[in-house]
Amino acid sequence: MKINQIVNKSIRFRVLSEDQIEQIYFASLEVLEKTGGMVYHDEAIELFKNSNAVVRGYNVRIPSYMVQEAINFYPRKITLCGRNKSRSLHIQKDTVAFGTGSDLPFTYDRETGERRITTYKDVNNAAKLVDALPNYDFFMSHGIVNDAPNTQTYDRHQFMAMLDQCTKPMVLTSVDGESLRDLWKMGCLVQGGEEEFRLNPLFVVYIEPISPLKNDSTAIEKLLFAAEKKIPAMYTPCPSSGATAPATIAGMLVQSLTETLMAVVLCHLKNPGKPLIMGGVTTLLDMKKSTYSYGAPELSLSSAANTDISKWLNLPMFSTGGCTDSKILDEQAAAEQMMNLFYAYLSGANLVHDVGYIDHGTNASLESLVLNDEMIGMVKQFGKGINTDDDHLALELIEKVGPGGEYFTTDHTYKYWREWFMPQLQDRSDYETWKNSGAKTMLDRVKERTRQLLDSHKPEPLDEKLEKELKKIIKDADERHS
Amino acid sequence: MDLSRISETLISGKADELKKMVEEAVNDDVNPSDILNQGLLPGMDAVGQKWKAGDMFMPEVLRCAKAMSSAMDYLRPKLKDDDIGNAGTMVIGTVAGDLHDIGKDLVAMMFEGAGYKVINLGIDQSNENFINAVKEHKPKLLGMSALLTTTMPRMGEVINSLKEAGIRDQVTVIIGGAPVTDDFAKEIGADLYGPNAGTAVGIAREYFQKK
Repeated sequence: MKINQIVNKSIRFRVLSEDQIEQIYFASLEVLEKTGGMVYHDEAIELFKNSNAVVRGYNVRIPSYMVQEAINFYPRKITLCGRNKSRSLHIQKDTVAFGTGSDLPFTYDRETGERRITTYKDVNNAAKLVDALPNYDFFMSHGIVNDAPNTQTYDRHQFMAMLDQCTKPMVLTSVDGESLRDLWKMGCLVQGGEEEFRLNPLFVVYIEPISPLKNDSTAIEKLLFAAEKKIPAMYTPCPSSGATAPATIAGMLVQSLTETLMAVVLCHLKNPGKPLIMGGVTTLLDMKKSTYSYGAPELSLSSAANTDISKWLNLPMFSTGGCTDSKILDEQAAAEQMMNLFYAYLSGANLVHDVGYIDHGTNASLESLVLNDEMIGMVKQFGKGINTDDDHLALELIEKVGPGGEYFTTDHTYKYWREWFMPQLQDRSDYETWKNSGAKTMLDRVKERTRQLLDSHKPEPLDEKLEKELKKIIKDADERHS
Repeated sequence: MDLSRISETLISGKADELKKMVEEAVNDDVNPSDILNQGLLPGMDAVGQKWKAGDMFMPEVLRCAKAMSSAMDYLRPKLKDDDIGNAGTMVIGTVAGDLHDIGKDLVAMMFEGAGYKVINLGIDQSNENFINAVKEHKPKLLGMSALLTTTMPRMGEVINSLKEAGIRDQVTVIIGGAPVTDDFAKEIGADLYGPNAGTAVGIAREYFQKK
């Protein structure tokens, strides 16, 4: 027996000290009292007016004690359940899940090599891949269904394209409050009713404010509906440092947190205890190209810091990784995606989204989803850390094998080598073997695997009766908006 | 006795169990040649195929190879020369000046697994030692390895010494090692080149089948 032992069961990583987190939090409370934010929604304004908040027109300022009170009411754990009835996704401290992003208007077409408009079929294919690939825990639509009959109802069609081929839990975007109601109804049908959905939510709703410090009416409409029905939601600021947020990461984090805390207070006023996830795609606006960067190292750094803050606040975190500014899946893409995957994982963010994004969040690529699955595997392997118990220290074995011996055929090797990461796509063969088997590049292998998965994977089909009921909701929505 | 059970036990890599089964079969007067050709070799073929398809990995394959090797040690004296078929004797070693042995040992284990009787000379072997071993054991295969670019030329020298001794055509030479290439193998007059330990046996088998 040993005493006074501290063992790192996994890698430990954090960016901010507790003092720094408090500095950012207190600064954010200061902004809430002094500057406040705009809330362009009448019901929300009424809720604030009937509280201790100070309302001037659409500007709302919030005393710090309201934040303090609200924050204690939020659940620290949210469990999502896919349509396969598996409660597979536990959103809780330091449990990391990976998933795609959503609504990319363009798709990199594998056959033609051209960029084109994303369709229902593309979302359907992305759903199939995410269902098949083991390192994806949740699915966002990846692409946006541009060929829906009406832009006001695209999100219902999109949800259908997702549900059709993917059994995993989801994160959904929606047009407005009315459409969120439809999506929620669809979700309840899938899970077996409103009560079952409450215990086994199929999805989290993605909602975002407009930085700096503005909340538009559709965002608030969705937030209030989610609060009313206790649908898990995330409120995700997307500030671009230097443009819609201070050029300093600390300043951007203060502002982003302020935007989050406004939602924290508002949802609490509407319906205390509503599951809320904090978020933030905190990155910079490239000062040469004027683009919102998905590959900047500052994205990784500020996101990891934001996750540190979320843990201190006891709120789950929706973070970002596996994304790139590169227009195609190339060396830049792999470098950037690997970096932001890595730090998102080590930070312990609960839901890491936008995995697979290329072209700074405008272009969808199925191959990118496949490549990232492999990279997530590598990252997770690193995160496992090192076991230093007696059997892993292998003293007996080292003595038995002795100088000049071999470990290949020992029982110890046979037992433990399976703890290693098993690459599916990485090529580790020698030069001759590689050359003789076609001298394939990583991209060649990624393309092959993508094609093979699309051809062979058969997700558990949707129940026919259920499918009809879901389509009825979509048809009704289309008729209302025609 | 159902000899496919021997194949299955071999595939599962259980050395002790395999040896016991082979002993039992011999005691039951099963023809040793049948034990080899209908039990052990089909088992190792299956292992080779699983390995090639990526369904088995080095530690598992080597476990099977070890099991095969110990079963063969028992069975070999009971076999007639013709029974051995494709498998035969191999002499293997690392050339002079080179003290690396894991790659070479791995190749040795793989050939043992394929039923070969392997004479592993060890590391840092002089040209003379290689020549003497070939004269003494009359192997079907001579394997040489080098990990260093500085010791690679020794392999060519051994081949020249084989020629000088007039025994070059009695043995097939296979070479390997990290800096070695197919071109280099051709340049020094080796017959075969194994780019890695896992494929060497297959390359040799294919060569002898064509011959």
